Amino acid sequence: MSQIIHLVLHMFNIIILIYFFLINAFYLLFVILSLVGLYRHREMTKFVSFKEVFRLPLVKPISIIAPAHNEERTIIESVRALLSLEYPVFEVIVVNDGSADRTLGTLIDFFRLKKSRRIFRKVVSHKPVKGIYTSPLYPKLVVVDKVNGRKADALNAGLNISRYPLFCAVDSDSLLEKDALLKMVRPFLEDPEKTVAAGGIIRLVNGCTVKGGQVQEVRLPRNTLARFQVLEYFRAFLGGRIGLSMLKSMLIVSGAFGLFRKDIAIQCGGYRTGTIGEDMDLIVRMRRHLHNMKRPYEIRFIPDPICWTEAPETLKSLSRQRNRWHRGLLDTLLYNKVMLFNPRYGITGLFAMPFYFVFEMLGPFIEVLGYAIFLACVALGLVNTWFAVLFFLVAVVLGTLLSLLSILLEEFSSERYPRLRDILILTLYSLLENILYRQWLTFVRVFAFFDFYKGKEEWGAMQKKGFAQAG
Amino acid sequence: MSLSLVLTAHSLLFLFLFSVCLFGFIVARRLVLERRQARFGRLYGQIEKDVLEAISRLNPDFSLEVARKYRAHPGVLTQALLDFGDIIVGEGRDQLRIIFNHTVKDLCLKRLASRSTAKRLQSVRLFIIFFDPAESAFLFRLLDDKPIIKLAVVNALSRIPSPETLSHIFTAFEKDTGFTVQAYFNVMFTLGNRIEPFVKESLTKPLPVDKRGLLVELIGAIPLRNLSEDVIALARHPDKEIRIRVARTLGKLLIPETSDTLMALAADEAWEVKAQAVKSLGRMKSVEALDLLTRSLYSTFWYIRYNAGYGLAEMGEEGLRRLREVAVQEDDKYARDMSVMVLNDLVFPGEAA
Repeated sequence: MSQIIHLVLHMFNIIILIYFFLINAFYLLFVILSLVGLYRHREMTKFVSFKEVFRLPLVKPISIIAPAHNEERTIIESVRALLSLEYPVFEVIVVNDGSADRTLGTLIDFFRLKKSRRIFRKVVSHKPVKGIYTSPLYPKLVVVDKVNGRKADALNAGLNISRYPLFCAVDSDSLLEKDALLKMVRPFLEDPEKTVAAGGIIRLVNGCTVKGGQVQEVRLPRNTLARFQVLEYFRAFLGGRIGLSMLKSMLIVSGAFGLFRKDIAIQCGGYRTGTIGEDMDLIVRMRRHLHNMKRPYEIRFIPDPICWTEAPETLKSLSRQRNRWHRGLLDTLLYNKVMLFNPRYGITGLFAMPFYFVFEMLGPFIEVLGYAIFLACVALGLVNTWFAVLFFLVAVVLGTLLSLLSILLEEFSSERYPRLRDILILTLYSLLENILYRQWLTFVRVFAFFDFYKGKEEWGAMQKKGFAQAG
Repeated sequence: MSLSLVLTAHSLLFLFLFSVCLFGFIVARRLVLERRQARFGRLYGQIEKDVLEAISRLNPDFSLEVARKYRAHPGVLTQALLDFGDIIVGEGRDQLRIIFNHTVKDLCLKRLASRSTAKRLQSVRLFIIFFDPAESAFLFRLLDDKPIIKLAVVNALSRIPSPETLSHIFTAFEKDTGFTVQAYFNVMFTLGNRIEPFVKESLTKPLPVDKRGLLVELIGAIPLRNLSEDVIALARHPDKEIRIRVARTLGKLLIPETSDTLMALAADEAWEVKAQAVKSLGRMKSVEALDLLTRSLYSTFWYIRYNAGYGLAEMGEEGLRRLREVAVQEDDKYARDMSVMVLNDLVFPGEAA
C-alpha cells in the first residue's frame, strides 16, 4: 500500500514538474515574441503619422459603446473623455443598464439630454429599452436607458443602436487616451477585409493624476494590491497578449477597450447574454464562426493605444473581480469546447484553446494539487528539505524573472513610469508577489470553479473611488 | 548530493544571476537613457534656437554657419530637421535644406543602404522632406524595399508629380501585395486630378478586387468626374463589393446623367448595393428618384429604409412632404417609425445623418 502511495505521489510530482516547466517555457516564449513584436511595432510607428490617419477619407467611422451600471461618480468624466477623442467620425453610445443610482439623471442634467424618438434595428437580442436620449449640444452622444440585463446585454443594445461599421466596446469607468482610436484603427486600414477585432493595452489609473478626462501624470499606486496588479497587467498585456497575438492565438480582447467589426459581431449573434466573460466569449465565437465559414481573419493586439482603468484596492473586491474573470473563462471554454484540440479550428483549436484550458483554466487546480502533494510528502517524510527549499526559491526567482522581463517590455514600449524609483519599487514587488499574493489568487480561482458549478452568476461589483481619488 | 538537487541548485543560481543582470540592465539602461536624453535635450534646445533664427533670417550664409556648427552632432540634428521639416514650408524649408545638404545628407545617403529598417526609414523621411527631383533615382531603387520603405518612397515621389513619378507610384500600387495597399489611397488622394489618366489605365488592368475597389473609391473621393463612364462600366461587376463602391462613388460624383445607373443598382440583388444606391440617389437630389426612395421606405431591410428616409430628407420640401405622408400612414409601421425618426432627427441641426 505504502509503495502504491509513493508511486502515485511520484507520478503526480512528475506531472506537476512538467506543468511547471511547460507553463514557464510558454511565458518565456511569449515574452521573447513580445520583444520582437514591440520592436516591429516601434519600427512601423516611426513612419506612420496618426495625423495622416485622421485625414484619410477611407477611415471607417466608429460607434463607441460604453455600458454603465451604477457609475454615477465617474460617468461624466468618462463620457467627456470619450467625446474629446481624436477621430474623424464617431458616436458615443452610453447604455445605462438599469442603474439603481443617479447615473442616468447625472447624464441628463450634465449633457442636457432630451428623449429622442430614434428607432433601431433589433438584430441581436437584449432587455427592453426604456428610452433613447440625445442632446442638441453634444450631437455625437446617444444615451440609452434600458432594463438591467448585465454588461453583455447592454453591449447588445448598443450594437443595435449604433450606426457605424466598427464599434469600440469600452468600460464606462475607463479613460481612453486621446489618440487611442486613431492608433487602434490602423490594422483595420491596413487589412480591412481580414481584420475583425483589435485590442489595446490596459493600464491602471490608480495613483495617477487625472484632469479633464485625461491622465496627466503617471505614478505608481500607493496601495500594495494595486501595485501587484500593475505587474500583472504588464505581464498579461505586454508579455502575454503581444506574444499570443503574434502566434495568432489571442482569445481575449479586453472588455475595457476593444475595436470590432460590427457585421462579424452581428453574424455571431452579438454578445452572449448568459455569460459574464463576454469579452473573451465574443472573440472565441468570432474565431469559431470565421473558421466555420473558412474565412481568413486577423485579431490583432496593438501595444500603444492606451486605456486607463481603476483596479480594486481591497482583497474583497479583487477576489470578486478575479472570481468573475475565472468564471467567465470557464464558461467560454466550456461553451466552445468543440474547438478544443480540433484541427478544424487551426491554431485556435490546436494551441490557443488547449493553452487556455490547461494553463489558465486547470492551472489553479494543478497548483493547489502541487501544494497538497507537497504537504502529503512532508507528512510521509518523503521530502528532501534542501530540494523543497531550492525548488521553492527557483519558483520565486523564475516568477520574479518573468515580472522583470515584463518591466523590461514596459521600458521598451512606452516608459510610462517616468521615475527610476517606480521601476525599483516594481522590482521589489515582483519579488514580493510570489509570496502569499500569488497563492491567494490561485485559491480565489479555485473557489471560482466551485462557484461556477454552483451556478453563481453574481457580477461582483467593485467599489469605485472615482478618478479624482483613484490613488 | 542527488542529481535533482544539483540541477535545482544550478537552475537557481542561473536564474538568480540572470535576474540580477536583467535588473542591472533595466536600471543601467534607464540611467543611460535619462542622461542621454538630458544631453540630447540641451543640444536640441541650442539647435532649435539656431534653426529658428535661420528660418526667420532667411540668410543662406547664416544657415551654412548653423550647419557647420552642428555637423558633429548628426543624431540630434537629424531629429531637429525631421521635426522642423515636417512643419516648415516655403523659404524656411529652403534654409533647412541648406543645413541638411551640408550636414547629414551624405550620412542619409549611406543609411539608405543600411541593414537597419529604422535608419533607412529615417533617411527616406528626410529625403521626402528635402526632396530634390534630381535625386529621384535613389528613391526609385527603394521601390523594391520592404513595404514600409516602399510606401515612404511613394510618399516622397508624390511631392513631384511628374508623369514619370506618377507612373512609378501606380506601378508600385499594382505590384504591391503588402498590407500597405490602403495607404496608397492617401498618397494618391493628395495628388488630385493629375492622376486621372493613371487611374483610368489601372482600371483596365486585371487588378484584385480590393485594389479595383480602392480606385473606384478614389474616383469619388477626389472626385474625378471625367471617369464616370469607367465607373458606370463596373456597375455590373460580379463582385458585390465593387458594385457597392460604384454606387457610393456615383453618389459623390453627383452627375445627374448617372442616376439611371443608380436606379438600376437600387434594384440589385444584394441589399447592401441597394442601400448604397438609395443613399447616393438621396445625395444627388434626383427628382426622378423620389418615387423609388419613397418605395424604399417600405423595404424589408432596415438599412435601405434608413438611407431612403435620410435621402428623402435631403430632397427638400417634396422629400419632407413624402416623409410626413409615410409618418402618418398605418399600413407599414416600420416605414412609419423610420419616417418619424428622420423627421424627429431633423429637429437637431448639426447632427450627422
